[in-house]
Amino acid sequence: MKTISAVFAYTFKEHIRHKAWLSSALFGLVLLAGALVVSALGQDERPRLMLDLGLAAIEAISLVSIVFLTVNLILAEIESRAIFLILTHPVRRADYLFGRFLGTVAAVALGMAAMALMHALLMSLYGPLETGRYLAALGCMLGKTAVMGALSLLLSLALTSEAAAMSFAVFFWVLGHFSSEMRFLADRSGSAFLKTAIVAFSHASPDFAHFNYRDFWHHAAPGAEWLLWAAAYALAYAGACLALSVQLFEQKEF
Amino acid sequence: MKAIRFQKVSKIYRRSHLGRVTETTGLDGLDLEIEKGEVFGLLGLNGSGKTTAIKLLMGLHLPTTGDVETLGRRAPDVEVLARIGYTPEAAYLNKTLTGREIMRLFAALSGIPAPDRERRVTEMLGKVGLDKAMDKRLSEYSKGMLQRASLAQALIHDPELVVLDEPVTGLDPLAIKEVRALILWMKAKGKTVLFSSHDISEVERVCDRIGILSGGRLVKVMKQDEWQGKPDALETAFANAVVRTDGVGPIRME
Repeated sequence: MKTISAVFAYTFKEHIRHKAWLSSALFGLVLLAGALVVSALGQDERPRLMLDLGLAAIEAISLVSIVFLTVNLILAEIESRAIFLILTHPVRRADYLFGRFLGTVAAVALGMAAMALMHALLMSLYGPLETGRYLAALGCMLGKTAVMGALSLLLSLALTSEAAAMSFAVFFWVLGHFSSEMRFLADRSGSAFLKTAIVAFSHASPDFAHFNYRDFWHHAAPGAEWLLWAAAYALAYAGACLALSVQLFEQKEF
Repeated sequence: MKAIRFQKVSKIYRRSHLGRVTETTGLDGLDLEIEKGEVFGLLGLNGSGKTTAIKLLMGLHLPTTGDVETLGRRAPDVEVLARIGYTPEAAYLNKTLTGREIMRLFAALSGIPAPDRERRVTEMLGKVGLDKAMDKRLSEYSKGMLQRASLAQALIHDPELVVLDEPVTGLDPLAIKEVRALILWMKAKGKTVLFSSHDISEVERVCDRIGILSGGRLVKVMKQDEWQGKPDALETAFANAVVRTDGVGPIRME
C-alpha cells in the first residue's frame, strides 16, 4: 500500500507538471467556451444544448487525455530509462503499475473536475443545476475514463508502439459504443464461428452502454442500482485489463 | 553466504525482425562469487557483458540459463532489493521533479519510515553536496549533480550491497576523486561494492579483486597482490585477456 501511494503521488505530480496535460485541460476550457457560443443558436433549448455540449466536451477531453497519458505512461519511462531506478528498489511490478495507473486517472479526474466546475458555473447562469444528476453524469464519465485508461495501458504493454496502441485504443473506444449492435449482428449471423467470434469480441471490447447517462439524463436521475452496476463494471473491466497488464509487465526486461 | 553469486549464468539476447532471428551473447557461462565486505571491480571493453551482469543482479534482466543470487536469495527478489543500492551508468532520473522530491520517492520506495524520511533525505542530499540545489528541478542539474543525486538514491537506505555501473564515466577529475573516496568509505563501513569500469587506474586503487570480462566470458580474476606495487601489471593483464568483439580494429598510426 505504501509503495502504491508513493508511486501514485509521484505520478500525479509528474502529470500536473507536464505541459501536455495542461494544454489539454486548457483546450477543454476553450471547448466549453465554444459550447457557450454554439448554444446561443439554440434559443429556447439553450440550457439543454449548453449542458449536452459541455458534458460532451468534458468527456472528449478526458478520453483523449487518458488515452494519451496511459499509452505513454510506461513506454516513456522505459525509453528514458527512469524505470531502472524505480524497479531496482523493493517495488513489486504490480504495485508500480497500479500506482502509475491510479495517479494518471487522478490527474485526469482533476482536469475533469476543473472543467466541470467551469461548466457548472456557466450553467448556473441559466438556472439551477440538478447537482445529483450532474454528479452522476460525471461519475459515468470517470468510469468510462478509468476503463479506457486501463485498456490503453494494456495495449501499450502488448503492442510496445505508442502509435499502434493509441490507434487500437481509439478503435476500441468506437467499438465500445456499439456493443448491443454487435450482439444483434451475432444473433443474425448464419455461421456459428462468426457468431462466436463476434460475441467474444463484443465482450472483450468495453461496453459503454453501462455508462450511458444520456439515456436518462433529460428524463430522470439514474437509480442507485444502475450507478452501482456501472461502478462494478468499471472496476471489473479495468481490473481485468490491469491484471493482464501486470502479466505482461512481469515478463519485461529492461 | 556470499554477497553475490553467479552460477553458470548465460544471457542470450534474441531479436526477431521480419522472420529473421538474431542471437547475441551477453554473458556466457559466468561463474563468480563475491564475498561480503569485498570491493570487486568488473573490467571489460564495451559490449563485454558488464552491464548485462549487473542488470541480471538487479532483476532488470532474466538469465537464459543459470542462477543469480544476491545476499543469499535468488534474483530478482523484491525484499533483497531493500538491502541493495544501485546506480546505472547514467543518472536516469525523472527530471520533472526536484532533488528533494525524487529522494522522497526513493526513500518511500526503500521502506524508510515516514517520520524518518525528511531527515534522511535532507541529510543524504547534504552528504552528496546537493543541499543548496535540493529544491531545484532535476532538469536544471548539471551532469555531475545528476550523478550525485543518483548516488544519493543508492545510499539513502544504508544498503549492505552497493552496485555501481561505470560510476566515474564522464566525471571530472575532482568528481572521480570524490567517488573513489566514497567507495573507500563504503569499504571501511563493511559494505560490499561491485562496480564496473573501463578505468583501470580507478579499479586498481580501490578494489580487493577484479574480474575481466571479454565477449561475455569471465577470462581472468585477479587479487590485489597481483597488481599492487607492480606498475602496469593490471593494464598488461587486461590487454592480454581481452579480445575485441565489437568489429572495431586497433588504432595504428604508422
